[in-house]
Amino acid sequence: MKELTPADASLLELVDRLLHKGVVLAGHATISVAGVDLIYLGLNVVLAAVETIESGAQGPGGVASRPGAPPPAPRLS
Amino acid sequence: MTLLAHAITGEPPASLDGEGLRGRPLRWSGTGDIGLWSTRWDPADKLDRNDALEHHRLVERICAAQPCLPVRFGTTFATDEDARASLSTQADELHSALDRVAGKSELAVTLLWAKNSGGRGDAPRLADPAIGPGRRFMEERRARYAAREARKARAAELAECLVAELPVERALVWHEICTSDRVAVSLAVLIPSERAAERKAVLERLAGRFNDVVGVVSGPWPPYSFVSIEQSGGSTPRPPTGSAARPPKGSAPWSPS
Repeated sequence: MKELTPADASLLELVDRLLHKGVVLAGHATISVAGVDLIYLGLNVVLAAVETIESGAQGPGGVASRPGAPPPAPRLS
Repeated sequence: MTLLAHAITGEPPASLDGEGLRGRPLRWSGTGDIGLWSTRWDPADKLDRNDALEHHRLVERICAAQPCLPVRFGTTFATDEDARASLSTQADELHSALDRVAGKSELAVTLLWAKNSGGRGDAPRLADPAIGPGRRFMEERRARYAAREARKARAAELAECLVAELPVERALVWHEICTSDRVAVSLAVLIPSERAAERKAVLERLAGRFNDVVGVVSGPWPPYSFVSIEQSGGSTPRPPTGSAARPPKGSAPWSPS
């Protein structure tokens, strides 16, 4: 598994905030927290393309096959 | 066309030069004494990594111009009227949140387990060949659980040490522990923007004094982690997902100081 470098950590912290923090405008807003199709975001996994996650899920040791890793994100619509 | 929301500010809107996402015009939707900055967006256009980072840069620009509340990335409104209506229903809460974060920025501290810290909870494999497969499985599982608990305890201890020495009120600190195999502590601090450089240096010193973790201090950023608002009115908000759905562990919820 890829080592998480300080630069990775900084980027992941930022992206985690973009998708999981900030004001949630309720009612009329469409919230698409994880629906960003080219990236899988969050501190729970290494930042990776969805394609990578999907291909990793096909074999042992892939990113998505890690215990606790959520399934690939739905696409934003 | 929809509106892709970036940030909420008070009236009057600052005169912001430049463009919104992907070179499209920034748009202001005002209602009463509050409003939303957004970009007109074709729903057929998929958002990608660059859009997320560009949204961040836009929010930084807006926050530099006037107090602002970053909106969660990916929030869209069908029309200008929808955006205004959503703001109107929560105007009081949004104003309070704006007052709380005015002139403040966020610094992030991440403590990563050091390579040889043993902090990742890897359980040693039993070498005794006389042990049968059933007992081996149970023993290894027990060792794994014990290692995981030890890791959580150490992460909580690290977080407590860090929070205790931070030169800010606890109410202005938010943290989680063990957010991944690599991360021991993820922490956010709300600080006065004009003292960001000074506070960042202090945090780097504090985060760098532990032997079993590597400290990374990021920011200053807009106050993403400190803008949650109490929902009011009859509408039922969609529950947040991801880390936002997890209550802060061991830290006091943010409250106005």
